[in-house]
Amino acid sequence: MTDTRVPMALTVERLTKVFPTGTAIDQLSFEAPEHKFVTLVGPSGCGKSTAMRIITGLLPPTSGVIRIGGRMVDGPIADAALVFQSPVLLPWRRTVDNILFTAEMRGSDPAQYQERALNLVRLAGLNGFERSYPHELSGGMQQRVAICRALLLDPALLLMDEPFGALDILTRERMGFELQRIWMTTRNTVLFVTHSITEAVLLSDYIVVMTGRPGRKKATINVDLPRPRSTKTLEDPRFLDLAGRVRDHLEAQWVE
Amino acid sequence: MGRVIRQILTASAVIAGLFFTWELGVTLTGIPEYILPAPSAFLERFWETLPLQIEHLRITATTTLAGLALALVVGVFLALAVVYVKALKVLVLPALAAFNGIPKVAIAPLFVIWFGLGDEPKVLLAFLMGLFPVFVNAVSGLGDVEPDVLDLAKLAGGNEWRIFHKVRLMNALPHLTDAVKVAFPLALVGSVVAEFIGGNRGVGYLILSGQASLDTSLVFACLFAITLFTSAGIGAVVIVEEFALKWRASRRR
Ligand SMILES: Nc1ncnc2c1ncn2[C@@H]1O[C@H](COP(=O)(O)OP(=O)(O)O)[C@@H](O)[C@H]1O
Ligand SMILES: [Mg+2]
Repeated sequence: MTDTRVPMALTVERLTKVFPTGTAIDQLSFEAPEHKFVTLVGPSGCGKSTAMRIITGLLPPTSGVIRIGGRMVDGPIADAALVFQSPVLLPWRRTVDNILFTAEMRGSDPAQYQERALNLVRLAGLNGFERSYPHELSGGMQQRVAICRALLLDPALLLMDEPFGALDILTRERMGFELQRIWMTTRNTVLFVTHSITEAVLLSDYIVVMTGRPGRKKATINVDLPRPRSTKTLEDPRFLDLAGRVRDHLEAQWVE
Repeated sequence: MGRVIRQILTASAVIAGLFFTWELGVTLTGIPEYILPAPSAFLERFWETLPLQIEHLRITATTTLAGLALALVVGVFLALAVVYVKALKVLVLPALAAFNGIPKVAIAPLFVIWFGLGDEPKVLLAFLMGLFPVFVNAVSGLGDVEPDVLDLAKLAGGNEWRIFHKVRLMNALPHLTDAVKVAFPLALVGSVVAEFIGGNRGVGYLILSGQASLDTSLVFACLFAITLFTSAGIGAVVIVEEFALKWRASRRR
């Protein structure tokens, strides 16, 4: 199953998580090649957020093995960064200081990262808002700050759990393209979670479709559309075909 | 800052209106001064006794602020224990809640028996009055940090110390200023009541001597002095918030 020529940023092997309330994830295996954008798609409650927490080492698995950059995960790993559905910025910190938060938590001198933080601000189109407090930013801008914060330490793996789920539909669409633009510059390996088939196909190199509770792998779909993808891509027959395949895999479960 | 000044002006206007109505009512009904002095009467008495007022208020203010400072230190310390040591949560919380159920003013005479007529029983009562609000606010301020923020911090490699002073402490600041706004007047109650019970100094003592000689204007003059003190204290906290907690502006609006 492994292609040894392509180094893997993340491998998930037979991951199982049992809660007292039942099995959330059942024997889930997939991998994310370095510098690729991989998306988990699946119905609500199929264990996507749980899988993300286990991959970062914040939650222990019941069984299974996670490797990031070849190293086994057995506790919170500083090599991964998280973006949640809500931006979770610290309200008393201005934009740049919120971005520098991860560096400070790691114990590094934030001054060393100042320049990188400002570059990320520019990359994310937040120029002019460097010294704003979170309450002075729109929801989309707050989420961009959260993305910059996650990228500050150049993580081996960037995990994004429905990062645009709380945004309105227009902002959400724009943020998708923004993320693609940022990602094409930084090329960190991304594991993304979304409910939106369009978002998944537009952003991903690979899509892992999961079944409903308990979460299992249903299919892996290779998205080989050229980048950058744009609103034009939405009308591309190959895009429509891929979106259709993802939808078929998801809908097949309704019948089961 | 403009907002603070506007609030002060509004409050002053309301008080002026109230005093005017009061003055008019007392004059029209002819209520004698020893029952209810008009504002003009007790303000005049306040002015006459100003050196006395300052002397006694200074004593009351000292024990109040000492009690409040103790309440802050001990309250935050207890809150830290509860937030960091899970086992203590089940121990300290109910104990403090039960203790808070005792009317502390009622046990003040005990303190006079134990500690005499000096400053100690005053500081102790002020401290006990202020402790609970400080503790409760500190527990929520230090403890109620979004779990996602903690995950983020841990993932970036944050240890307990960094999480404490960069996340929990900052999160607790507005809770603590709120706590002081509640605890400060309570601590003052503690000091004044302890002065009622024993000793011959402080605003509480001055009020008692006014009562003994049926000098009702003096009693009101003392109340006026205390109110000035409380307002100044709360005002100082609000000004600190205005500068140090600017980021909170949106929440208050
Ligand atoms: N801490 C927990 N304790 C018990 N059950 C949980 C816990 N966390 C998640 N679950 C359950 O596991 C399943 C997967 O949850 P989650 O990972 O949040 O799904 P998703 O993110 O795909 O919507 C759900 O049925 C949820 O109720
Ligand atoms: Mg989820």
